[in-house]
Amino acid sequence: MTRGTAAPVALLLASALLAAGCTERAPDAEAVTLVLKHARILGPADPFPGLLREFESAHPGVRVRSESLPWSSDEQHQFYVVNLEGRSLGFDVMMLDVIWVPEFARAGWLLDLTDRVRPEELAGYFPSTVAAATWSGRVWAFPWNMNVGLLYYRTDLLAKHGFRPPATWEALVDQVRQIRASERDPTLEGYLWQGKQYEGMVVNVLEALWAHGTGVLGDDGTAFPEPARAAEALAFLRRLIATGVSPPWTTAADEELTRRAFGDGHAIFLRNWPYVLDLLEAPGSRVRGRVGIAPLPGAVGGAGAGSTGGSHLGIARGTAHADLALALVRFLTSERAERAMATGAALYPTLTALYHDPALVARNPWLPRLRDLMLAGRPRPVTPSYLLLSTTLQPELSAVLVGLKPPERAILDARRRLDYFLASRR
Amino acid sequence: MTPRERADRRRGLLLMAPTLTILAVVTVYPGVWVLWLSLQHRVPVFGVERFAGASHYVFLASDPRFWNAAWTTAVFTVVSVALELVLGVLVALSLAGLARGRHLAFSLLLLAWAMPAVVTAKLFEWLYHPAAGLLNFLLGGRGLNWLGDPSLALPAVILADVWRSLPFVAVLAYARLLSIPAELFEAAHVDGAGRLATFAHVTLPLLRRILAIAVLFRTLDALRAFDIMFVLTGGGPAGTTETLTVYAYRGLFQMLQLGFGSAVGVVVFALVMAVAWAYLRLLRAEESRA
Repeated sequence: MTRGTAAPVALLLASALLAAGCTERAPDAEAVTLVLKHARILGPADPFPGLLREFESAHPGVRVRSESLPWSSDEQHQFYVVNLEGRSLGFDVMMLDVIWVPEFARAGWLLDLTDRVRPEELAGYFPSTVAAATWSGRVWAFPWNMNVGLLYYRTDLLAKHGFRPPATWEALVDQVRQIRASERDPTLEGYLWQGKQYEGMVVNVLEALWAHGTGVLGDDGTAFPEPARAAEALAFLRRLIATGVSPPWTTAADEELTRRAFGDGHAIFLRNWPYVLDLLEAPGSRVRGRVGIAPLPGAVGGAGAGSTGGSHLGIARGTAHADLALALVRFLTSERAERAMATGAALYPTLTALYHDPALVARNPWLPRLRDLMLAGRPRPVTPSYLLLSTTLQPELSAVLVGLKPPERAILDARRRLDYFLASRR
Repeated sequence: MTPRERADRRRGLLLMAPTLTILAVVTVYPGVWVLWLSLQHRVPVFGVERFAGASHYVFLASDPRFWNAAWTTAVFTVVSVALELVLGVLVALSLAGLARGRHLAFSLLLLAWAMPAVVTAKLFEWLYHPAAGLLNFLLGGRGLNWLGDPSLALPAVILADVWRSLPFVAVLAYARLLSIPAELFEAAHVDGAGRLATFAHVTLPLLRRILAIAVLFRTLDALRAFDIMFVLTGGGPAGTTETLTVYAYRGLFQMLQLGFGSAVGVVVFALVMAVAWAYLRLLRAEESRA
C-alpha cells in the first residue's frame, strides 16, 4: 500500500470501528475479503492498487488484499507448494508462472474453470498463452502477462557493416566475426545469452533445440526424442562459448548480467525478454536508439522461435468465494486492466488487440512488432512434470556448456535419471 | 542417593519437562516423519502415495548427482572450516595485539557475521562480477570467470563462506585470549621463549578447547550449508557447487518428489549426527586425558 492510501484506509477502519460500537451489528459484517498472491510488480508507476480499488467499488462488500510473494521464482513455487499441500489456504487468487499451471492443475490445487469460461472469452489472448493455461483439455487459468525470447542487436554496428539481422545462427556467428575483426574493440562481445545453471538456461537450450528442429519432450513423453539432433544443438551452444562468439562467463550469466553488459554497449547481440527494451531505451542508456529486435535465428532443420513466458492468474480450489475470485481474475485480465498494467508497469499484455492500441503504441512504438514476435513464440512443454524435467536437466546441460561432458553423454545421463522419477508415478 | 537428592532430581525433571516436550515435538516428530517419508514414493502432484522400501536409498547409491553433492559437501566443509580456523586465530591474535582501534575492528568483524547469508551471497555476486567485479579489477583486469568456471566456482563459494564465518571463530578465540593471565606470557618471555614458541606452547594449548567447540559448530553448519551456494550459483556450473542440502531442496520443493527428497535429507541428518558424535567423543577423550 502506498503512503497516499494508508491514511484514508486508516480513517475508514476507524469509522467502521466507531460504527460497530454504535449499532448492534457492523454494517459490513458480511464483507468478503479476497486474497490475491502475486509477485512484486516493477515499473515506473504501479497501477495495481488503483485497479484493486476499482474492483472493490464495483463489488460493494468485497475487499481485495494483495500480498507479495517472495522475490525469486524458486521461493514462490516453494511457498505455493507448502501452503497448497498443507491445505492451509490463505489466498483465493494466485499469480502463477506459466510453467506451473499444469503441475498445480494435476495436483488438484487449481479450480477447474472450463465450465465457467466461454470459449470465445479466451479468443483475444495469444494462442500460446491459452495453450499454456490449458491442460488435459481443460482451462485452469487466465493469461495475465506475456513474455517471449527475443534477439536484440545493435542497429548502428550492423548498419555500419552492411548487415541485416541474421536469419540463421550461422549468419549470426559470421556477423560477429566480421564486426569484431574490424571494430578492434577487445571489450566488445559477440552474442550474450543465459547459461547459468537455472531455469533461464533451460529456456535458452530449448530455443536452440527448436532451431535444430527438435525438442526436449516427445509426444509420448520421452526426454530428447531425437538424441542426435539434440546433441547437435547442445554442441552448437558449447561451440559459441568455446570459439569466443559468446564470452566464457556465459556459464554464469542470467538475464540481468547479460542485459547490463549489452546496455553498457559491450555486445553486438543479446538474447533476452521484452522487459529489457524499456531499460535499453530509457533516457541515459548508452545504447538508446541503437537497439533493434528480431526473432531468434533458425538453424539447419528449424526456424527460430523464442520461448514464451509470463504469468497467469488461477484460483485456489479451496476458495470459499469462487465466483468473486473469478470476477477478480476476469477484471485483472480485462482490456482495461491490462492497458493500465502496460502503461504503468513493465509488463506486456496477453491480449493481442492492445498491441495496436493507439494510446499504448504512442508510448511504446515497439508494440506492433512485438506482437508478431510473440505470436511466433512457442511455449515450453506443457506438462505437470515440467519442473522435474527442468531440475533434472539443469546440471547435465550446464556440464555440456562448460565443456565437462560431451552432449551425447549428458543426454543419456539425464534420460536415465528422468526414467527413475517418471517410473515412480505409474 | 538421599531422599533430599531424589526430591531434587524429581523437581529437576519436572522443570525440564516442558523443554523436553517442546524438543520432542519440534525435532523428534519431524525427524521420524522425514524418515518415514523417505521410505515412500510420495508425489503429491500425481497423487502417488505408496511404500517404496529402500528403493530411494538404492537409487542414491548409484546416483552420480548424489555422490557429486556428497563430495562437494565434504570439500566445502573441510576447506572452509580449516580456513576459518587458521584465519580466525590469526585475526584474534592481531586483534589482541592492536594498540588502538580494537573496538572498531571488533565491530567490523561482527558486521560480517551478523549479515544474513543471502546478503553476503549478493555482495559476493558483485565482487565476482566478470567485468565490473572488484576481484577481477584487483587481479589486474583479468576476466576470471569466478562463478561460471567449474574449477573456480567452489573456491569462490568457499571464500564467501570463510569471509562470513571467520568472525565467529575469531570472536571466540579473542575472548579466550583476553582471559589468559599476562603472567603466563611474561613467564614464557623470561624463560627466553620467542614469539613462535610462546604461541605453540602457551597460547595454542590454552585456545585448544574453545577452538574445538568452534570447529564443532562450524562443521555442523558447513555440512548443512545452503543459502550461500543457492544464491551465488544455484548449485552450478555443472553441479560443482551443489551440496547435499541443495540437492535435497531440489528434490523436495522443485521436483516435488517428497519421498526421494526426504531420503537425501535423512542422509544429511545421519551425516551431521555421526560427525557430532565423533567430535563429542574426541572432546571427552581429551578431557579425561587432561
